[in-house]
Order: sequence, then structure tokens, then C-alpha cells
Amino acid sequence: MDRVRLKRFRTKLLIFLAVVGPGIITANVDNDPGGIYTYSVAGAKFGYTLLWTLIPVTIALIVVQEMVARMGVVTGKGLADLIREEYGFRTTFFLMFCLLVADLGNTVSEFAGLASGMSVFGVSRYIAVPLGAFLVWALVVKGTYRFVERVFLVGCIFYVAYPISSFLARPSWSQAMINTVRPSFRLDSGYLYMTLGVIGTTIAPWMQFYLQSAVVEKGIKIKDWTYSRWDVIIGCFLTDIVAFFIIVACAATLYVSGHRNIADAGDAAMALRPLAGRLASALFAFGLCNAALLSATILPLATAYYVCEGLGIEAGINKRVEEAPTFYWLYTTLIALGALAVLVLSDQMQVPIILLSQVVNGIMLPFVLIFMLRLSNREDLMGQYQNTRTFNAIAWLTCVVMIGLTAMLIVSSFFPSAYP
Amino acid sequence: MIYFTEIENLPVYDVTGAYIGRIVDLGIDPNQNAMRVAAYYVRTLDKTEVHILREQMQAITVRSAQTSVSRKEIHSNKPVGELLRVRKDVLDQQVIDVNHRKVVRVNDVDFDLQPIDGHIELRVLDVNVGMAAAVRRLLQGLTSKHTIRKISGFFPSRTIPWEFVNLIEPDSSRRLKLRISYERLARLHPADIADILEELSRDEQRSLIEALDHGTAAQIMSEIPTAMQAQLLESIPVEKAADIVDEMPPDEAADVLQELPPETSAKLLADMEKEDAQEVKELLGFEEDTAGALMTTHYIALEGSATVENVIEAMKQFEGPIESIHSVYLIDAEEHLVGAVPLARILLAPANTPLRALSVEEVRSVQTDTDAKAVIDLFRKYNLLALPVVDDKNHLVGLVTADDVLDLVVRRR
Repeated sequence: MDRVRLKRFRTKLLIFLAVVGPGIITANVDNDPGGIYTYSVAGAKFGYTLLWTLIPVTIALIVVQEMVARMGVVTGKGLADLIREEYGFRTTFFLMFCLLVADLGNTVSEFAGLASGMSVFGVSRYIAVPLGAFLVWALVVKGTYRFVERVFLVGCIFYVAYPISSFLARPSWSQAMINTVRPSFRLDSGYLYMTLGVIGTTIAPWMQFYLQSAVVEKGIKIKDWTYSRWDVIIGCFLTDIVAFFIIVACAATLYVSGHRNIADAGDAAMALRPLAGRLASALFAFGLCNAALLSATILPLATAYYVCEGLGIEAGINKRVEEAPTFYWLYTTLIALGALAVLVLSDQMQVPIILLSQVVNGIMLPFVLIFMLRLSNREDLMGQYQNTRTFNAIAWLTCVVMIGLTAMLIVSSFFPSAYP
Repeated sequence: MIYFTEIENLPVYDVTGAYIGRIVDLGIDPNQNAMRVAAYYVRTLDKTEVHILREQMQAITVRSAQTSVSRKEIHSNKPVGELLRVRKDVLDQQVIDVNHRKVVRVNDVDFDLQPIDGHIELRVLDVNVGMAAAVRRLLQGLTSKHTIRKISGFFPSRTIPWEFVNLIEPDSSRRLKLRISYERLARLHPADIADILEELSRDEQRSLIEALDHGTAAQIMSEIPTAMQAQLLESIPVEKAADIVDEMPPDEAADVLQELPPETSAKLLADMEKEDAQEVKELLGFEEDTAGALMTTHYIALEGSATVENVIEAMKQFEGPIESIHSVYLIDAEEHLVGAVPLARILLAPANTPLRALSVEEVRSVQTDTDAKAVIDLFRKYNLLALPVVDDKNHLVGLVTADDVLDLVVRRR
């Protein structure tokens, strides 16, 4: 390669590395303990047969996330800001309230994930959860944006635990590949519910708010949009690649051996031990703890962010506690409540909280998606970066399907008979 | 006092008691009086919009409003021109609280009712950004206004007097038409304006930099990250950008030009004043993270025979910010660096003292290619405020100042 080309390539790579972050981090947090559990169950119960859902899910995820990132880069405003300016106070308040409830439930499930992941290593939840909660709290309250982002990016690298543990499980790769590209439908309620679960856990409203805020906070310039877009797209692929390996690992072991009922993600890791070996099991549990910590930091943080943003209260990790008290209080309270719930409530009692958050997420999603679509089609906001016709067609289709599926998911969660 | 949340949707009747419609917005005409409402936007039953003029409004209460003229007359009002609209332009938007140097979001707007020459006038008191106003927005229309006042009374209220509110209008033609100036904002310290700037959206940032005078804009530039400077300069017309870069210290100008695409910085350099452009171009030649890239070319250098009086003359003609001068440098006829005189010594010396007699014994300097880290170490070791930079033949070519070193240290941390 001639030197000019090489230099240009190097410059491009450097810009990409500077812009990278928001998309990849958001996508990885998406694989939180709740997600890992869903994928594990999908693999344990239905083997490789649900792998095909990952391709349409990836496309939908990319469409939605690309749109918000673009809005962030072009307008320099967060999604909550834009919604407030366009749809007024009450709508924003309603959305923010829903987000708060949903994310509180999510935070509970992150800490529950941490507890069950650490239990694989024989660590009591009464040690793991308070310690984890303090760690994530201190990271944000004491750290700067750049430092926090670096820790997050390192956390993302640890997801490599899943592919490794999946290889150790010695799955049938040919079957996995075939099932990834060949859709299979089964008309039993358990299978249907699981399909919905995989999709619902992958696309959640908090992600749109978080990604747009993170892009704005990072101050990504319009001319670097191409790189930022790749950050988002690569992130979406990573999410689903990790999901793929989790499903494969569980399909190759738990499904094949008939160990098909797992109570939580830590349970899945335990069950892997006799089937795929100690290392695979430990890696799986390690990945779970990492995911739990990562999402227990980002979710409450993101929530505090856009709630403040939408209601016009000062926020940002670059601000001192005295400058943005509400922001830090919200963040602290979410973590404290989330951790406390796991310590105080039995697993049985945590279920309604997590269910509620799933339902609230579902109620919110249509609003968020439709607001997003309308905002990103506004010429005065987006200028030449408006959605194209083709993009709009795909995006609206995605939205309609997502809304329909979420509605089904909510309905089915009220009828436990449909629940396997 | 009456809140916008109470005026919005208020039914309006004409002088005979016939129903006209409901108030949807209030218009302020900053060209006449930025403190009062000039027109009421009313939606009628058949969904059309009519405008009631300030002097046609007879009475306003929390229950209803009444005009002093007939419905027919209202309908024959000519449409009001472009006005500043409370609902559309102020409510829910970000504004700058000049007093507290903060960007805030408006929850409600408070008005005072004032009878004047037989009609009633709404005067803008303040914008409300507190919890109480948020509660009013939330409950608006759900229960009686009396109850809402009671409930919101339990929450803290935070208001910003209208005269300390600086609106932000990204559309420049509209900004001029509505006389939205950034005058109030411009009075703040550039570092405070820079903080505010970083909170705003891209369009708003552009509009702010475009509207402020070059000097202020250049000072603000010094306070924000180079990448953001570049983005802002790219978003405004080249002539304006060139004017701003002209006013920036040459070392900072060089930094931002390096950040811009080559075509853009070439255009800017071409548009700048010749002399300034030349200085910047010379700085552009130095490798990053060397004394040469760090230094500014704004300094005072005189020959040793010059007197204290000459120094005062030179200071009067000095181009950069005068506060940045801590020492005067001595050169010989070939511009070799031969000495330095701290300003304090000059201050205490008789007017006709030659500078040579006041020079420090040993003047420290670095070469243009000295590594930035070595420069930092020198500043720390000798507690320097400024350090002259020479070329390989000891010609004085520039000056590294403590503020630039501090920025560098912070950036490297």
C-alpha cells in the first residue's frame, strides 16, 4: 500500500476510535442479566431453533438506534429534550415517569443477576450486591466522563467470555448456522412467548434515550457521523453475536441433555458445569457478573440523565454533586433501591417488579418509536439528514411489528397459562 | 399575577358577551416593548385563528377574558406580523438565565395584569423554572385553577425576572426581526459564556457565535475545546470565521486551523488580515507538542538601549491582551535574545532608565523544537509565567505562556 493511502487509513482509524463508544456501550448493556437469562432459556428450551430471530432483530435494532444517534449528532440535543420541545411538558413527564418505573425494575434484575452470577463462585449475595452497588455508584459519582467511558469499554470486551464458553460447549456449528438463516415457526404458546421475549429484551426504550444522550455528551461532530454510525451498527451486531453464542452454548448442553428448566442465568451457568466443564461454567458466570455491573451502572445513570434532561433539571457526570443534586440523588436512589430489593425480597417477590417493568417498557415503546420517527422526519430539525423514503418504509414497518409484538408480550404476561 | 398556564385555553367574549374563542398563544412585539403582550392569538369554534390586539382587551380573569370591541371588529383585524410567541418560542424552550449564568428550561411564564387607558395589559414578569410551575403544567386543565394554585403552592417556585432572560433564536433573520439580542449574555465573562455554549444545541451555538462581536467570540473560543471551535467555525460564514480567528491569539488560531479540513483553513487564512495570517502560518509549520506549536507570537521585544518610556509606548501599541504581559524581552540588532525585564522592575524604575540596566541576570529560553514535556518541567521547576522561544540561532521567535501550559497539563492528565 502506498504511504498516502496508509496514512489516510490511519487517520480514519484514529477518528473512528475517538468517536467509538456510545453505540457499542449501549448495545452491550442491552445484553444485561435479563437478556442473558432470556437467551439462555431460549437455548435450553428450544435448542437452536430460535436462532433465526436474531437476524430480523439485528436489523430492527440497527434501524432504531441509527435513527436516534443521527438525531443526536445533527441536533446536539437529547431525545428527551426534543420530545419536551415538541410534545410539551405533560407528555414528557408521563414518559419520564414510565422510564423511571421500568428502569427501577430493570435495576432490580441487574442486581439479581449479579447475585446469581456471584453465587456460582460461592460468594454470598449479601457481600456481592452491596459491594457491586457501591462500586458502580462510586465510579460515576467520582469519575469523569472519559474515565467512565473507558471502564465501560473494557467491560464490553469481557463479553468475549460467552463465545469462549460456547466453543467449550462443543456445539454443532452446522446446525446452529442452518437455524440462524432458516426461520422455523411453531404454533405453541411457549415457543411464541420465547420469540417475543427475545425481541422484547433486545429493543427497549431506555436504549434510545441513552444512546442519543451519550452521542450528544460525547460531542460528536456532523462530519464524523459516518464513523459514529459504524459505532452504532457494529454495536448492534455485537449485541446479537453475543446473544447467538449464549443461545448456542445453552442449546449444545442444556437442551441436548434435557436440562431444560432453568430458574435464572446463574442457574444456567451452574448447569453448564457438568456438561461443558468448569471453565465454560465459570466464564459464563463471569460474563453474567460483568454484564450485571455494566448495566447496573449505565441503566440508573441513563435514567437519571433523561429524566433530568426532559424536566429541565441540570444533569451530567461532568457536573459536581452541588451543581446537579437531583441528578445524583436520582442515580443514587435507583441503585440503592435496586440493590436493596435484591437483598430484602425473595426471588418470588422480585418477579412482579420485573414483570411490571416489562409491561411499562412495552407501553412506552410505541410512543418513543413514533415520536422518534416523526422527529427524525422534520426538515427544520434534521435538514439534509432527514430519513430517506426507503429508510422510513423499513422504520415504520419495524415500529408496527415491534408495537404488535410488544402488545402480544404484555397480554401474554398477564395470562400465566401461556407462560411455559 | 396570572400564569400562562391559566391564560392558555381561556375563553374570550366580545363586548356584547358573544363567544369568540379560546386563547392559544400570546405575542410580544420586542420592537415596540419587550415587556408587554402585544396581541392574543385566539382559536375560534371553526378552528380558525384570529388576533386580538393589546388595546382591544377589556378584562382578563382566571375564568375568562373580554374584549372592548365587537366580534366583527376582531374578525376584521389584520393579521399581526411576526411576533415573539410565548407558547411557541418561550414555553418548554431553553433560555439563558443571565444572572445565574445557566441554561434553564421554561416551565411557565408569569404575567402581571395592568389596567392602562381603559384597557388591560399583560406585562411579562418572569419565566418560571421551578417545581411549582412543573406541577401547574401537569395539572393544567385537569382540575379548577383555584385548586391548582393551592396544590402548586406547596412546591418551591423558582423564577427568573424577564429582564435577565436571554432567549436563543437559531434563525438569524427571525432573530433580527424580533430583536432578540445576546447583549445581556455578552456582558458575562467569556469563560461563563463558554460554559453556557457547551449546554446548547448545535444550531443555538452557531447562532450565538454568529451574533456576538468578533472580540467576544474569539475570547469564548479560547475557553472551549479545539474540536468544538473547529466545528463552530465551520458552521458560520467564512468571512465571520476569519474575523474571529483574526482576533484569537496566534497560537490558538494555529491550533484550530490545524483541526479544520485543509481547504477550510486555507480559505480562512486567505480571508484573514495579511500580518496575522503570516504569523499563524509560521506557527502552523511546527511539529505538534513542541515549544514552537505552543508559543504565541504576541510579545514585546525591545533593544537594550530602550527606556522605560519606550516600554509604555510599546504597550500602548500592543495587539494582544495587555494583561498577558509579564516581562519585556531584550534583543540585539539581529533579534538575538539577550535579556528579559519583569514588568514589576519597570514599574519601579525612573522613566529614563535603559532596560539593559534592569534585565535579569540569566534569561531562560527554549528552542522551537523543544518537547512540550520539557517545557512543562521548566515552568514547574522555575515557577515561570512565560518562557521565550528561540530558533537554532538564538533569534527570539515566540513566547510560551503559563495559561497555555496549564491547558496542556490538564489535557494530558
